[in-house]
Amino acid sequence: MQLSSNEERMLKGEAGEAKQLSMEVLTKVGEAAGADRLVPIKSAHVLAHYSSLHEAGIEVLEKFANGGGKFAVPTTVDPASIDLVNWRLFGIQEEYARKQFRLCNAYARLGGILCWTCVQYQVCNFPKAGEDVAWAESNSVVFANSLMGCRTNKITSGLDIACAIAGLTPRFGMLLDENRQASVLFSLAPDALTDLDYRSVGFFIGKIAGSRVPALSGLPAGTTSDELKHLGSAAAASGPVTMIHYVGFTPGSGSLQAVSEGRKLETIEIDRKALDEVEGELNQTEERPDLVALGVPHLSPSELGELARLIRGRSLKRGIRMFAYTSSLGYEMASMSGIRSDLERAGALVSHTTDGEISPLKQMGFNVVLTNSAKMAELVSTEGEVELRYRPLRGILDEVME
Amino acid sequence: MVEGRADGEAVVSAKAFTFAHGVDPASGRVTDIHSDLRGADLKGKILFYPYGKGSTTASAWFLETVRLGNAPAGVVTGSPDLSVLIGSLLAKSVYSKSIPILCNLPGEPSTVKTGDRVAVDGSTGEVVVG
Repeated sequence: MQLSSNEERMLKGEAGEAKQLSMEVLTKVGEAAGADRLVPIKSAHVLAHYSSLHEAGIEVLEKFANGGGKFAVPTTVDPASIDLVNWRLFGIQEEYARKQFRLCNAYARLGGILCWTCVQYQVCNFPKAGEDVAWAESNSVVFANSLMGCRTNKITSGLDIACAIAGLTPRFGMLLDENRQASVLFSLAPDALTDLDYRSVGFFIGKIAGSRVPALSGLPAGTTSDELKHLGSAAAASGPVTMIHYVGFTPGSGSLQAVSEGRKLETIEIDRKALDEVEGELNQTEERPDLVALGVPHLSPSELGELARLIRGRSLKRGIRMFAYTSSLGYEMASMSGIRSDLERAGALVSHTTDGEISPLKQMGFNVVLTNSAKMAELVSTEGEVELRYRPLRGILDEVME
Repeated sequence: MVEGRADGEAVVSAKAFTFAHGVDPASGRVTDIHSDLRGADLKGKILFYPYGKGSTTASAWFLETVRLGNAPAGVVTGSPDLSVLIGSLLAKSVYSKSIPILCNLPGEPSTVKTGDRVAVDGSTGEVVVG
C-alpha cells in the first residue's frame, strides 16, 4: 500500500503514540483488504456500548486517550448500554454503570460528539453526497451508502477509533465505484406493507444477498426514510449488506435501467410467503412478554409522535414494561411537545442514550421481549439469554395495552 | 493476515461465524444458537469458518476473549474477516499476545475437519494438517 510522507511519519510514531497505533491498524487492515492507499474522511462514527466492548474495549480506548489521541474529524458516538441519565430507573447495577461511564469518559477525552445515537444521520452527522466517511454501526452504514450518496465500509470496532484519530480510512470495498454496482435484484410484489414487513423484507435480503450488493424494486412510492432506516437495519443484521439500491430512492438508482446498466441481474421475488417465513424464524415463543422494546434503531421524533397517537388514552397492562428508545434530540423534542408525557401516561418510558439490543436485559430482569425490530430479534436471540417475540406494532399494542 | 505460528486442534464451522453475542469471552465457548459449533470450546484451538457475520463489535468480543485467556490460538477464514484481524492486532498492542490470522484459499476449510491436529503460520498463510 502506498503511504504519503505524512502517513509514514505517523506510522513511525512522530505524531505520537495514538496516531502510530491508528496507522498500524489502518495499514494492516488496508493490506488485508487489498487497499491501494488511505483516503481522508469527512466524518466518523464510533461504537460505545460496554455490553459488547467489554473491559478490553475500555482499555483500548484508554490506551488511545493516554497516548495523546484526539479525533481528527467530527466523530459521533453510538449509544451506551445504559440510559446515562436515568439508569437507576431501569434497574442497572452500579458496578455495571461505572464501567459504562469509564468508557464514556474516554470518548470525552478523545473529543467525541457525545450524541449517543445509532441514527446519527437523523441527528447530528450530515456529510455531503459524494464524501468518504468511516462509520461503524451497520444500520447507519446502509443508510449512508444507500440514501445519502456517501461512501463508507462497515467499519469494525477498533478500526473506527483508528480512522477517527488518523482522519483516514483504507480505500477498498464500498469506497470503490466497481464494488457499489447492484448484482442481484429483489423484487417486491405489490402489497400493503406493515411496519413489520419493511423489517422482514430487509432481513430476507440480508440473508439471501450474501456479499452481493442488492437492489430492491417494488417499494411503495410513499415509503418514508424511517421505514428505509428499519429495512436497512434488518438487512445489516441478518447478513453483510452495506448498501441497497432502493430503485426510485437511492441517488443514481432512479430506475431499474439505471441500476442494472444493461446487465442481466438475477431476480429474486419477495412474496408474502417469504415474509411469513422471516416472521416465523424471528418469533421464538408465544409466551407473555415482560418487555416491549421499540426503537432499535432509534425512533425519530415523528415515529415517537405516531406511537403517542396510537397509545393515547390506553394503558399498559400490569407486569409489562414498554421502552421507546430514541436519540437525545428525540427525547428533548418529545419532552417539549408533550409527546413524552402522553407516552408516560400510557405506561411507556422514553429511554435515550442507549438502545434495546445493547442493554443488559437479563440484569434488568427481563425474560421475554416483544419487539417489531428484526435487528433486536436477531442480535438478542443469538445470545440465547432472553426469548424474543417479533410482531407488528399494532398487534403488539393490542396485546399489551388496555 | 496477522503473523505468528500456532498449532492445536481444529474446530471447523461450515456457517457464517461471529464472536459478537456468539462466543462467551468468560469461557471461550460458542453460544450462538445459529452456529453449528454451539457449545464448542475455542480456547487454544484453531478456529476455521468460511466468513464473518453480524455486528461490527465482533473485534471487541474477540479481544475480550483474548484478555480473559480464552481465545483460540489461531483463526483461519475463507474470506477476510476484518473483525478477527483487528482484534488480533489490538491483542498484540494492548496485551502482547500473538494470535495468527489466516485467510486461506477458497475450498480449503472443507479439507480440515473438527478434531484434526493442525499447525498454522500467519506469515506464509500455510495450514498443515497432522
